[in-house]
Amino acid sequence: MELFNSESKKIISDPINVNNPISLQVLGICSALAVTIRLDQAIIMTLAVIFVLCSSNVILSIIRNYIPNRVRIVIMLSVIASLVSVVDELLKAYLYDMSKQLSVFVGLIITNCIIMGRAEAFALKNGPSKAFLDGIGNGFGYGLIIIIVSFFRELFGAGTITLPDGGAGYVLWRIPESWYAAGYENIGLLVLSPGAFIILGLVIWVQREMAGVEEDA
Amino acid sequence: MHSNNYTLGFVFIVTIILGSMLSFTKDSIKDLQEENLKADVQKTILRSLKFDESLLQTNELIEQTFKSYIDAKCVNIEGVIVECAIEEIDIEKNVDVLPVYIRKDNNEIKGIALPVAGKGLWSTIFGYIALNPDTDSVLGIQFYKHGETPGLGGEVEKKWFTDNFINHPQEDSSGSITYVPKKIRDSNGKIVSIKVVKGGVDYSDSNMESIHQVDGISGATVTADGVTDFLLEDLLRYEKTLDKIRDYGTI
Repeated sequence: MELFNSESKKIISDPINVNNPISLQVLGICSALAVTIRLDQAIIMTLAVIFVLCSSNVILSIIRNYIPNRVRIVIMLSVIASLVSVVDELLKAYLYDMSKQLSVFVGLIITNCIIMGRAEAFALKNGPSKAFLDGIGNGFGYGLIIIIVSFFRELFGAGTITLPDGGAGYVLWRIPESWYAAGYENIGLLVLSPGAFIILGLVIWVQREMAGVEEDA
Repeated sequence: MHSNNYTLGFVFIVTIILGSMLSFTKDSIKDLQEENLKADVQKTILRSLKFDESLLQTNELIEQTFKSYIDAKCVNIEGVIVECAIEEIDIEKNVDVLPVYIRKDNNEIKGIALPVAGKGLWSTIFGYIALNPDTDSVLGIQFYKHGETPGLGGEVEKKWFTDNFINHPQEDSSGSITYVPKKIRDSNGKIVSIKVVKGGVDYSDSNMESIHQVDGISGATVTADGVTDFLLEDLLRYEKTLDKIRDYGTI
């Protein structure tokens, strides 16, 4: 199979756009709300999810013909849970500050419906290379949305833009003091969960509009 | 349909493989993780003692700063220095040997950091409270380990909460407001610690205790009560030591 034929491209691009796991399927919402307070957290979370999603898709796809149907959910869950634990441990060793900030939400990747959903819907029915591309596509689709949400939440909620740097985060830009002096104020609501819902709702609206998706009446 | 034996065998093999993968990962990075943990504790101590963030950037820098500025000692409840392996002390359980971390710049005491730990809602919260050399006003407080709910009890480690302890608004005669640290001693010099109060601190003149109070966290009353309890309990253990430092300038 050629890696970048039109089918492969579709496997990658669909979940980023017309079949986005967050904005179209509305999966993985809990982590999308929890880790979008700061941009750097969202970026690291995206990388963690992409790693787990691709690896679990590939592993499950390789052994798909051997998994007894009766225990397939258990097997999927154990593979995903093990991969998540590995990510969690790696973060503790190499990105300690980030792992402290993400706290339980790394562990909660296990319950991210996107991962289980792709395993069940795609990886168990397709070969490893396609499953890998599906993981990339859905991972980026997830990442795209949470990065957009976190960008707006951090910018308007806390007044900064922070990139991951291995430590407590590198502040790329912050709203200058003179703006505050002139009467500008951060929107505290955006730092809280309701703020995340509002931004996410707006992003879903815009994204669906752009992708030209219409809900069946 | 696979047979029961096949299913059992399959599950068994998957378990073995995943288990080995996990233990292999954990084992190969355990040293790094422990180093991070140790640096994190030292960083918490240094932060509570208000060291500049530029000295706390990397693990090496933290260790070096810690070594050159911090005088780590153990005392007993009577305030007498005792021998100890300070890194191995179990902060939560141990009550006989008490660690003290003193910040010294040119042999002059700049601050005293004491470990505090106790139950919140779900977990034990670990942290350090640092006092100024007067052993009364708070220099800083930092929490580094807890399992409280992020966004609720987990807020104890956030800057807005810890800043409560060093920002007590005080109005002078001209009406302008300056911020002073909260105090752990009452006017007679007795240790009364600092209470985390539900809602917010009442700063009206009728509340004489406001210098010993900080704002609570909405939705995390149990965590806040826990902090109040263990702060008092732990500070009282150091009473004799703190009295000595106040009166003689040394332990």
